[in-house]
Amino acid sequence: MRRYAARRAAALVATLFFVSALVFVVVRILPGDPAALIMGTEGSREASDRLRESMGLNRPLPVQYVEWLARALRGDLGRSIQYDLPVGELIASRLPVTLPLALMAAAFMVVAAVPLGLYAATRHRRAGDYATMILSQIGISVPQFWAGLLLILLFSVTLGWVRSGGFEGWSSGVGAALRSLLLPAIALGLFQAAVLVRATRSAVLDVLREDYVRTARAKGLSELRVVGRHTLRNALIPIITVAGIQLGQLLAGAIVLESVFALPGLGRLALGAITARDLPVVQGVALFIASTIVVINFAVDLVYTVLDPRIRYE
Amino acid sequence: MRRTAALVVVLAALLAVAVVPVATPAQAPRALVVQSQTEPPGLDMTATPATATSGVIFYNVQEALVKVDRHGKLVPWLAERWHTADNRNYTFFLKKGVRFHNGRELKAADVKYAFERALNPETKHPYAKDYEAIGDIIVKDDYTVTFALKSVNASFLQNIARAGSVIYPREAVETMKSHPIGTGPFRFEEWVRGDRIVLTKNPDYHVKGLPHLDRVTFRFITDPNAVLAALKAGDVDVSLFGLGPEHVQDVQKDARFQVLVGDTTNDVILAMNNSRKPYTDVRVRRAMTYGINKSDVLKGAMFGMGKILGTNVDPLNPYYVDMSKVMPYDPAKAKQLLAEAGYPNGFDTVLKVAPQYYYTVRSGEVIAENLKKIGVNVKIEQIEWGQWLSRVFREADFDLTIIGHAEAWDIKNYANPKYYFRYDSPKFQELFAKSEVTVDDRARRDVYVQMQKLMVEDAPVVWLFMHPRLAVAKKGVQGLWKDLPASAADLSEVAWAPAK
Repeated sequence: MRRYAARRAAALVATLFFVSALVFVVVRILPGDPAALIMGTEGSREASDRLRESMGLNRPLPVQYVEWLARALRGDLGRSIQYDLPVGELIASRLPVTLPLALMAAAFMVVAAVPLGLYAATRHRRAGDYATMILSQIGISVPQFWAGLLLILLFSVTLGWVRSGGFEGWSSGVGAALRSLLLPAIALGLFQAAVLVRATRSAVLDVLREDYVRTARAKGLSELRVVGRHTLRNALIPIITVAGIQLGQLLAGAIVLESVFALPGLGRLALGAITARDLPVVQGVALFIASTIVVINFAVDLVYTVLDPRIRYE
Repeated sequence: MRRTAALVVVLAALLAVAVVPVATPAQAPRALVVQSQTEPPGLDMTATPATATSGVIFYNVQEALVKVDRHGKLVPWLAERWHTADNRNYTFFLKKGVRFHNGRELKAADVKYAFERALNPETKHPYAKDYEAIGDIIVKDDYTVTFALKSVNASFLQNIARAGSVIYPREAVETMKSHPIGTGPFRFEEWVRGDRIVLTKNPDYHVKGLPHLDRVTFRFITDPNAVLAALKAGDVDVSLFGLGPEHVQDVQKDARFQVLVGDTTNDVILAMNNSRKPYTDVRVRRAMTYGINKSDVLKGAMFGMGKILGTNVDPLNPYYVDMSKVMPYDPAKAKQLLAEAGYPNGFDTVLKVAPQYYYTVRSGEVIAENLKKIGVNVKIEQIEWGQWLSRVFREADFDLTIIGHAEAWDIKNYANPKYYFRYDSPKFQELFAKSEVTVDDRARRDVYVQMQKLMVEDAPVVWLFMHPRLAVAKKGVQGLWKDLPASAADLSEVAWAPAK
């Protein structure tokens, strides 16, 4: 197990190294120069040339990369061009929005999808199953930003229960903060929940066909025990695999929904930084998201061994 | 299995309970929440020309010696008056008792410092060129400062009224990017990156009785649908930028809101690359003007809001002459001109537009349709804003493009042969140079009239329309500017109507 963890850690470092190089090259070969963007159509060409020089963007690419990497290894991700703040600090300031948002969306996804999937599987080819599948089909088809807007229209504009967007900050109280994240979390989790319902249903259906389920039933166990103890646990491996991938997708989905709900999260930071060619921020956020996804995958692999003791990584 | 079903019901109930109704906190009567489309790329107006920055800071937090008021007139501001005998030496008499937000009084030395810093190439001021005429800045006493110009410069007063000409305390220069200090009606309080900027009332403001508001919050909401929702839910009071004409029409039907449709200095143009064939030929350029139905464009892109333009001098400019009907839509004439230029069957061309500005794409579609009738086949290529700035604006790698030029008095760009549309007319350059040294108002107007006529004749670009100001405010918000002669959102005179 320890050797396995060490191997995975080495792979993690290699992945991050690769991601950092890729992002670095991609954002720099994109046409569009941060100095020109800052000066827009109104600043003079000379002013933007001087700015470009002072930003160090005229030096050779490999030199810029090595310098950036050396600093990043010491934990210094550079300074945002747009905000004039350390990138690390900026990312940290956005996490209190995006992290709870993603976690709430994930909670919504699991809490809504797993029971529904189980329910559909046990009602295979009956009305309950079809109703669930239609619901899930709708959930998959509705674009996230549109779901977000519909939720805003209903709960803020018509009913006036929650704010239409924005984030007051945790200092205004945990309840208020959670409330401003509630609609975006539901909008964000909806699509993923719809996908997970299907994954759960088919995983459970597979297990229900197993001999040991028939045996359990034959023993006279209650249906709840059969499904809860014998079926669900064995169906969890494919479910966890899908859910792990979805956690990463939640971070990506946050980019769209944070704009719709005007939330100052990581996704909006990334989007703004790409438009403004705030290169240090783009690199920093990409690296951060990549590491998070790699870590989630790593955690999922470890969870397998807990769920199924037969799995060994030696 | 009934348990599973029960579980689902309980969860649904839990979710419903989580969305408990909450009373929106009562809006303090003297606070205003303003939606802003783009978050500023830093708050230092001496480092960025971004309108997102001046839209928050200019006139609210920082001010200049003179000000362009809501009618587009130049009025004394931090200087209570100025004097010039020879149009070379301008003496400004500063208002006494004007205090920066850090409590220190504004003195003539601060004025000298701000302009010397702007002229220093080390500081990368975006408008350094505008101050080139300044030879020397002489502090006579604490409240008197003289600018000695190298030569007569008719734009001098305009230039020191710009956003880049604000006066700030030298001790705060290092932190201007994130915490600007000035003399304005509001103090900068906080910038929650990604969410909002908060300004609070400056109780020592040098204009007695102003401002009326205690607190102004600029919230950054980019998505127009989200802006509409925020307005309708009562989360923002005013939207200054970001709503398109289709949204404004929707709000106009709602009795809770007032819609302000006004004039701006934003001229939307179809630029042709004058250094690239076939646009090197003036007949082709004229044919393009005759071949485009500008009122179709205005209807298609702006639902008819805005004004059709004939040149780059906008209706807010004091020297504006209405040239919009000089070259009316005339496809037959356009075809004839194309035939004369050697293109009887028209030609293929590429239009590059940046969808960041919705009106560019929409106008492009109407124009492509118009031009098809005279045999010009336009292929529309959408590129991202950063690419547009590098490829079109910097490198002039384009045939056609559409963009709005928001700066006031930007006719100077036509006198710059290196500007991206590459219009190179010695005659125009000569006229412009003359306008810059003609101080007498009537004589200067004459030169401006000549320039506008020459522009129409040379047709270096097709001037489409003036982009209107489209602002939405709750009923009860008073004192907003209707027109936008300056790139600012002056909130000093804004107040809530007394409750009935």
